[in-house]
Amino acid sequence: MNTPIILPALLALLLAAGTAHARVKLVALPERARVAVSLAHPDATLVEEERLLTLQKGVNQVDFSWRGVQIDPMSIQVRMLSHPDKVQVLNTSYPPNENALIWEIASPSAQEERVRISYLLSGLSRDVVYKAVAEPDEKSLALRNYLRLRNDSGEDLTDAEISIGYGTDFKKTIAHEEILELLSEKVDALPIKKVLTWDAALLPWDPEYQKQTVGIPLSYVIQNDKTSKLGVHTLLPGKARLFIKTGEKGDGVAFTGEDWVPLTPVDRELKLYIGQSRDVKVTQRKIKDDKTNIRRNNNNQIVLYDTDEELKIEIENFKKDPITLLLIEHIPGYWKLEKSSHEYKRKDAFTIEYELSLPKESSGNKKTVVTLKYSRINVQGNEPQTY
Amino acid sequence: MTRTFLPSSHPISTKFLRIGVLLSLCIFLAAASHGRISVVTLPGRDTVQLTIYNSADLTMVKETRLLTFRKGLNKLEFSWANTLIDPTSVEFRALTQADKVEVLDVSFPPRVTNTLEWRIQSEVAGEVQVEIRYFTSGISWAADYVVEADKQEKRMTLAGNVRVTNNSGEDYENAQIRLVVGVIRLVEEIRQLAQQGRPGQSQPPPPVSATEAETKVLRMRKAGLALAAAADLAAEKPKEIVKEGVSEYFLYTVEGRDTIPTGWSKRLPSFKQADVPIVSYYKFEKEQWDDQVVRFYRFKNDAESKLGKEPLPDGVVMALRTVTADGLCAFVGRTAVKYIPIGEQVEMQFGNDREVTVKPKLMDWRKEDIRFDPQGNVSGWTTKETWEFELQNSKEIPIVLDIRRHFRGQWDLKTDAPFEKLDAHKVKFVFSLQPRQKQTFRYELTTQHGVNVTR
Repeated sequence: MNTPIILPALLALLLAAGTAHARVKLVALPERARVAVSLAHPDATLVEEERLLTLQKGVNQVDFSWRGVQIDPMSIQVRMLSHPDKVQVLNTSYPPNENALIWEIASPSAQEERVRISYLLSGLSRDVVYKAVAEPDEKSLALRNYLRLRNDSGEDLTDAEISIGYGTDFKKTIAHEEILELLSEKVDALPIKKVLTWDAALLPWDPEYQKQTVGIPLSYVIQNDKTSKLGVHTLLPGKARLFIKTGEKGDGVAFTGEDWVPLTPVDRELKLYIGQSRDVKVTQRKIKDDKTNIRRNNNNQIVLYDTDEELKIEIENFKKDPITLLLIEHIPGYWKLEKSSHEYKRKDAFTIEYELSLPKESSGNKKTVVTLKYSRINVQGNEPQTY
Repeated sequence: MTRTFLPSSHPISTKFLRIGVLLSLCIFLAAASHGRISVVTLPGRDTVQLTIYNSADLTMVKETRLLTFRKGLNKLEFSWANTLIDPTSVEFRALTQADKVEVLDVSFPPRVTNTLEWRIQSEVAGEVQVEIRYFTSGISWAADYVVEADKQEKRMTLAGNVRVTNNSGEDYENAQIRLVVGVIRLVEEIRQLAQQGRPGQSQPPPPVSATEAETKVLRMRKAGLALAAAADLAAEKPKEIVKEGVSEYFLYTVEGRDTIPTGWSKRLPSFKQADVPIVSYYKFEKEQWDDQVVRFYRFKNDAESKLGKEPLPDGVVMALRTVTADGLCAFVGRTAVKYIPIGEQVEMQFGNDREVTVKPKLMDWRKEDIRFDPQGNVSGWTTKETWEFELQNSKEIPIVLDIRRHFRGQWDLKTDAPFEKLDAHKVKFVFSLQPRQKQTFRYELTTQHGVNVTR
């Protein structure tokens, strides 16, 4: 091995009266009998290791020291496993300027004691990585979740029982400076929905005035639920890379894009924005924008009014397949929707959403036209748009 | 123990001892006013007691030594190079022959730091047990706790420890250690006084008399003196830490004697209590933690919870949760707890837990009841907001979720969900969520603005 690794050294020695602060180092280095690593906490790694100590009758000094390992000394705990009621830790001493501590452990007889030492270790970082391969019809995909562990802790973790807070534990060896990627979850034929999202607040209304074709964000929507063969645990944040199968022989794939997976609890929707579609064109125009019920002050200034507004949205799908388009409109303040050509959903006080199924090749006179008539009420010009 | 008087022609130098505190007993020579040359002895300490405060960098050291006096005037030199002793705090008294030994005065010799001389009139010749008491900085103690919650987060084992750290420059061997839980007032820092080496010009007197705090310290000292020194123990069980209330303070006396060399620290178990009931409590308050749900363990320092024997000093808590049948743990978090009086309910905060989510959504907003002033401008209006909250417990254990909302102005709340009005501008909703339960609740908030405000 290139990098010298110095493991936490444990040595038990009989307490010689009067050598309270002499650091006598005798050789007795019990190997670790077990190592468990808990990654359940997002910001901290808990290591628990078990060692077999040979204790003398009376008070034993057990020296635990480490070098080149980022152990948080304040976090170190020791527990007796074999005789928890009889073998006791009397105290812990911390010498100056050393990564070490000394336990005074009292044992009623000469015996072997299995102890569990636990501590927080820094330098063991983890990423959650998702890889998905969609079927050519984009109706399902194969999802692989990986746990990528990067061990810069200075410590070799041999045959470590690694737990990530859900699912089954892994037993792996990960050396210092090693990066280990573990497959933590595997779901095949996971149903997905491919959607385009046109948000009136984010995209140009009239593509005719744009120098380049407007791309409409394309997403795969996954439900973290049982029907999607998920729904067991919260999906943790991480990067997702999406591929699609191609006609090429031998399971060829093409990369279709990547996105960050946000924290997605069970039964919630995960929307991965992976690219843009330029085969769908959305043109939105405000065809009516009138003030009504105008009230003026004594200086003839408008102080309050209502509105009469109408939007017309024309959508053309040039693709040879039907597709779902989410159309998002924002209306600030207090408003009433008077007429809508299509069914819509109120997402929040200032946002409505249409879920439109665009037929294949629905352009020209086959295009989809959405009209929306609403009035805003008691407008002063300072209406909230977000909350 | 025999003591030898060594005639010496050299002033005491610090090379003799690393411990820094030197004691010299001199025959007072009236004529020899220049040289402090006399007979020197270095009696060792017989006992040392450290009373360590955690609210200030202050430790009261009480040591006893056996000195041999001559009848008449004795001069006693006490010096303490390379330590952090406050020269204004050093006191001397005779424990035996107290009515026959009198301190006439104390001198801080010119051009010398970290040294003082007592002129002591003794009516007896022979051994006298004396007590020397002083303040030092550089020794501190702190409490820390380890929480081991069970898998269901219903009960915990709470273990308390105390950790004493000695950076005073002095090795105190076989010292009795007492720890003070409480807040005392100091008008000048001990460390600063120590660094001056000799009594310096005092800081301007404070506007209000400091006697209040000093009285408390004195009371503490007296209480301390009344305590019998603990006997040395057979060191095969953890030392008991005896706790007692003194005035506004709590005094922890560590059984037996300890040696903590300078630079070292030592952690001693203070108590351990299993089966303490806890509540896994979650809070959502945008004004405090934005969109995050923050996890707490709540418990009460009372007898019903198998605690309540003593107040718990402020300190750091490390919390683990047992997750496997063979006792392997997951890390819950680390936090600082405040001083916990007996009977007080405590919340230990362990940061964001991603497995509990709260999503507030404003679903409707209306502006109504518009009023105009005589100039025709809008002078009053009423807003109505409908909020919907999505709550989700993704954990495998039931939890309690506390949601607080802040409302400004004149507001009225309409909801089916029970709530408690905490103050004029804050309400609290509490929900119990079963494992993996989702829940929504709504409320309608009406707020008056401008002339619509009536109260």
